[in-house]
Amino acid sequence: MTIPAAAAGAYASTARLADPSAGLGKAVGAAGGGSDSSFGALLKDALAAVGEIGRKSDAQSQALVAGKADMIDVVTAVSETEIAVQTMVSIRDKVIEAYQNIMQMPI
Amino acid sequence: MDFMKSIAIAASGLRAQAGRMQIISENIANADSTPSQPGGDPYRRKIATFQSEMDRALGAQVVALGPVGTDSSDFQVKHEPGHPAADANGNVKYPNVNPLIEMTDLREAQRSYAANINVIGATRAMIQRTLDILKS
Repeated sequence: MTIPAAAAGAYASTARLADPSAGLGKAVGAAGGGSDSSFGALLKDALAAVGEIGRKSDAQSQALVAGKADMIDVVTAVSETEIAVQTMVSIRDKVIEAYQNIMQMPI
Repeated sequence: MDFMKSIAIAASGLRAQAGRMQIISENIANADSTPSQPGGDPYRRKIATFQSEMDRALGAQVVALGPVGTDSSDFQVKHEPGHPAADANGNVKYPNVNPLIEMTDLREAQRSYAANINVIGATRAMIQRTLDILKS
């Protein structure tokens, strides 16, 4: 997981959302780490990554119930999923908070 | 992420200690196992060994159970002529398992397991504290 890069990308996308004029948005995007992806694409990627980890822990849990997996593997897989979900939720919350801050800015 | 690596490494420690626990419980359970035929050898105490292993996918040294050794010390001999496993002189060999040694070994396994659990807990706490930066 590359949280700093994701955060930089998220910051750039928020900057672009706040300013519809693409030129400035791109400029901020370049300054914010060179990420050119939209916030939607970023969120989609993050969700896919978290979903993948979640599927792994689900498979481990099912194998445990079937008596085929080690309890330690299941616990570590589930805790990894928990951390991944928490990371994604925290970043999403922060980005949306920043977006709302900008949207509510008195003009 | 490095935090995930340290959790995976600690998990390998948990697995190794769980395997050691299995060997200790075998020793304790078989502490009184006598030979199956008269004059034969009884259960011989097993010894767990640990090896550090390079996990290529993880890029770190993890721990794994090594080959299980056997304790070559002498068996205890008791004079029990009526025992089905007694030899011509009426002696029965009992396993070379000392419950006191097994109990200290068990405590050590317990403490090592707890230490690895603590590593996982501390790592998770560090991840949480990092995420808390975003929640201010």
